[in-house]
Amino acid sequence: MNTDRSVNRVRRRTNWPITILMIIGCVTIFFPLYMTVIIAFKKPSEMTNDILGALQPPAHWSLSNFSEAMKVTNFGQTLGYSILITLCTVVLSVIIHSLAGYAVGRNMARKKFYKFAYFYMLSGMFVPFAILMMPEVKQAALLHLANWGGVIILYVVFFMPMNMLLYVGYLKNIPMALEEAAYVDGAGVWSTFWHVIFPNMMPMHATVAVLTALSAWNDVMTPLVMMGGSGANTLPLAQLNFQSQFSTNYNLAFASYLLALIPILIFYLICQKQIINGVVNGAIK
Amino acid sequence: MKRQMQSRSIGRKDKTFLAMLLPIMILFFLFNTLPLLQGFAYSFTNFRGFGSYNFVGLRNYVNLFQDDRIGHSYQFTFLVAIVTTIIVNVISLVLAIGLNSKIRFKSTLRGIYFIPAVLGGLVIGYIFNFFFTYILPAFGQAVGSATLSSSFLSNPQLAWIAVVIVVAWQSIAMNTIIYISGLQTVPQDVYEAGALDGATGWKKFKNLTLPLIMPFVTINMVLCMKNFLMVFDQIMSLTKGGPAQSTESISYLIYNNGLGGGQFGYQSANAVIFFVIIVIISLLQLKFLGSKEEQL
Amino acid sequence: MKHQLKRMLSMVLCASLILGVAVFSTGCQNATGKVTVELFQYKPEAVKTFENIAQKFNAEHSDIHLVVSSPNDADTVLKTRLIKDNPPDIIGIGGDINYSNFLDAGMLLNISDYKGLDSIKDAYKKMDKQLELVPQKGVYAMPYAANAAGILYNKKIFQQHGWTIPQTWDELIALCKKIKAAGITPFYYGMKDTWTTLAPWNAIAVDLVNPNICQQVNLGKATFKQAYSEVADKEKELLQYGQKDPFAYSYNDACTAFAKGQAAMFAIGNYAVPQITSVNPDIQLDSFVMPASNDASKNQLNSGNDLQFSVMKSTRHKEACYEVLDFLLKDETVQSYVNEQNAVPCKKGNFKMSSVLDSMQPYIQQGKMVDYQDHHYPSEMSVDALIQTFLLGQSKEVFLTKFDRNWKRYNEDTIAKLQAYEAEHKAAASSSVS
Repeated sequence: MNTDRSVNRVRRRTNWPITILMIIGCVTIFFPLYMTVIIAFKKPSEMTNDILGALQPPAHWSLSNFSEAMKVTNFGQTLGYSILITLCTVVLSVIIHSLAGYAVGRNMARKKFYKFAYFYMLSGMFVPFAILMMPEVKQAALLHLANWGGVIILYVVFFMPMNMLLYVGYLKNIPMALEEAAYVDGAGVWSTFWHVIFPNMMPMHATVAVLTALSAWNDVMTPLVMMGGSGANTLPLAQLNFQSQFSTNYNLAFASYLLALIPILIFYLICQKQIINGVVNGAIK
Repeated sequence: MKRQMQSRSIGRKDKTFLAMLLPIMILFFLFNTLPLLQGFAYSFTNFRGFGSYNFVGLRNYVNLFQDDRIGHSYQFTFLVAIVTTIIVNVISLVLAIGLNSKIRFKSTLRGIYFIPAVLGGLVIGYIFNFFFTYILPAFGQAVGSATLSSSFLSNPQLAWIAVVIVVAWQSIAMNTIIYISGLQTVPQDVYEAGALDGATGWKKFKNLTLPLIMPFVTINMVLCMKNFLMVFDQIMSLTKGGPAQSTESISYLIYNNGLGGGQFGYQSANAVIFFVIIVIISLLQLKFLGSKEEQL
Repeated sequence: MKHQLKRMLSMVLCASLILGVAVFSTGCQNATGKVTVELFQYKPEAVKTFENIAQKFNAEHSDIHLVVSSPNDADTVLKTRLIKDNPPDIIGIGGDINYSNFLDAGMLLNISDYKGLDSIKDAYKKMDKQLELVPQKGVYAMPYAANAAGILYNKKIFQQHGWTIPQTWDELIALCKKIKAAGITPFYYGMKDTWTTLAPWNAIAVDLVNPNICQQVNLGKATFKQAYSEVADKEKELLQYGQKDPFAYSYNDACTAFAKGQAAMFAIGNYAVPQITSVNPDIQLDSFVMPASNDASKNQLNSGNDLQFSVMKSTRHKEACYEVLDFLLKDETVQSYVNEQNAVPCKKGNFKMSSVLDSMQPYIQQGKMVDYQDHHYPSEMSVDALIQTFLLGQSKEVFLTKFDRNWKRYNEDTIAKLQAYEAEHKAAASSSVS
């Protein structure tokens, strides 16, 4: 009885020293963020090159940089493409990569072929994109995939090695007993995967979703070579507008970066709940 | 009779697993291996990226080994990758444990620590340029340190440290998330049992937590090593290979000279060699760290 | 089993759906009787200018439809377009090594039969000729707009102190000393961005070095070690009149500092003007030619083709392309481009230019212009980084030896081709004599 209560108390008590340390650590994040925000609000003529001037808040907190940045990047449309590409990539990645991870992770200990498949696909992670780019573009053009659809397919293929690595690693902590119980009940591999394994990998799905979304959201190179010049732009592509050969408009660029940061941060906060409230602790016991 | 059924069901299971995996492998082959093989073929040519080209045999490979610029890029890249991998893993593991302990404002703090991963290359480059050009020297002058009072970025001996700092700052966020999700797999009752046995602090970490998240240490080490060996964005936004070509990473040369310049064939050869090296390193890592996993 | 089949089926369906949508989204193209000409140009700052040109062109022409593409990161996009077998009809690129490469790869059409070429200044046409890696028969580009580099100066500061524009190297150094004595930084450098080291380099070299030096070296008739020795010394000498730690500051920092009046001069081209005026719209700017020798009559303006048009060999509408070029060469089109982009026109005639170029006008009128040396350097050789290394303290001996050695490495194929060409032509010449 007594021990029970003390365990409870341990569970509930806030660890203030760590909380405070963590809050102090935020300075390393807030300082660059502060600079980003003030630059995003300043006018080009307010830019200086000494410390005090640069750390000063802008003279006026006006949103004109943001509206100008939205106009230059054609925000509505580019945001649409970015969201479309990122969401499709995330959904396909979570389904396909967890499947691949499951097939490989559960069989590679007993079968050579799966082990081969694992390392074969893992090796794809280490191919520098620059060497693939030209052949990839040529191939995509032949298949009529030099567009956003092609970008999604490339992402699903390129992110596969890393996500598979994550899923295989996570599977090691999901006991076989769970699946065996399902098999005994007469379930096939597919339904075991969908009903037992897939839900149990929720925290990893969320992690994979965040990492995949982030890579897709920020990537410039793939959309540039696949859909560059087609008129359709993703946000990072449109943001290249702020840099020309001999000048960079940092103020507009930073405003645009802040705008682009918000959707992905919201996505992260949603996924974060899944990472924390993972069902693992509850379900597997 | 029973055994027959079982083996049939195993056979069927295997077929299903194969049906899961094969389409994915074919997709992978089409959009990764096939272009790689084509790129490999280009490495024997003097292709510029467009127009006509000639077959040059092994010339590109022979030249690679005589090019001191390439040699330096390998040295620099490995130095940065190894140092950063260690720093990032230590810090993000500490952060993950901190963010996973019983603290207040947990989700807010986790959100904040995630921000560096989202900021684009131009922002990070600009802010850190400002930091190294203006703030650090001012600080250096205040404390009277000669090394600190001029910019790291204009000193060929120190610029690599600036690269390490920026890469680490940005990567810690990602690795922390992976560690946090790893920590979720540690069942609470393990800690509770441990708490009763009086395991606290370092001992608790070493004997309880670390063994259980070892697969995630493996993943993070491999991912870090791979990401940092392929470091490119931060170089572009921070130093563009300077000063005095001291921070040219391998990927920087492959992109800049292969795609931006006219050395597509030559840099394809570089990419092939680089690919082989990273695969070997990663396999060794997986093997070494994997054996640690099994022992525990 | 049925269940599984369904699952598999649905997955296949999903995949084909994505593929289908993707295919569909490119497959649509409208087919009208008009000839469509696509002009691809690489200057992101000129997007609006070209949109206007296209609009006017299309209003005047019922048979040709002009489409202008000005994508971000045009270099990469153009290369991918070529790989995709989807080249534009006309490309507007800089007159630099990229042009040499496109020409050498056999992608450009000979436009020597195009009449408009007669109206282009010879100096600029000559520059394109010199950019040919191996001498070619014919003309492959129409120079359109040029930029000019030298020294930008803050008129107000100069007027306040009564300083005048130097005509010789010694006068320039004396001026720097005067400015320094007045407590003002003579030059602001942004040498953290390596390419800015090339601005003084080029401007000094035009006065001191044979413009054909790269070809001479390729033929084994000269070395950079000799040719660039004085250039290297002079750039290093100018460096001591810069701010402290010039390698810590980027091009943008330098533009900001110069715009705020923190230095009297900035060794850069007129292309930097928009960035400078964005920080300080009221700054009074002018520029003068870098006087690198002590003989004022030897001074040359450093100016090169910033935008030139080439017709792609693969085009099926040569005549229509020529009509587009005609329209671009109309005086009013040229003038509007010059106005909007602060450019120097390559066309002969009286065009009104930006006041920033005032002190350079005599050179422009007399055609005393020499191309940027770096237009001949392969970008992958990173000559700018070599110069930066030298300015950071490497000895001139090591620097120029490395320059010559690296040049051979990065131009291996060009040198072989050029020497084969020379041998062939010598043989042909001697056999025709005998």
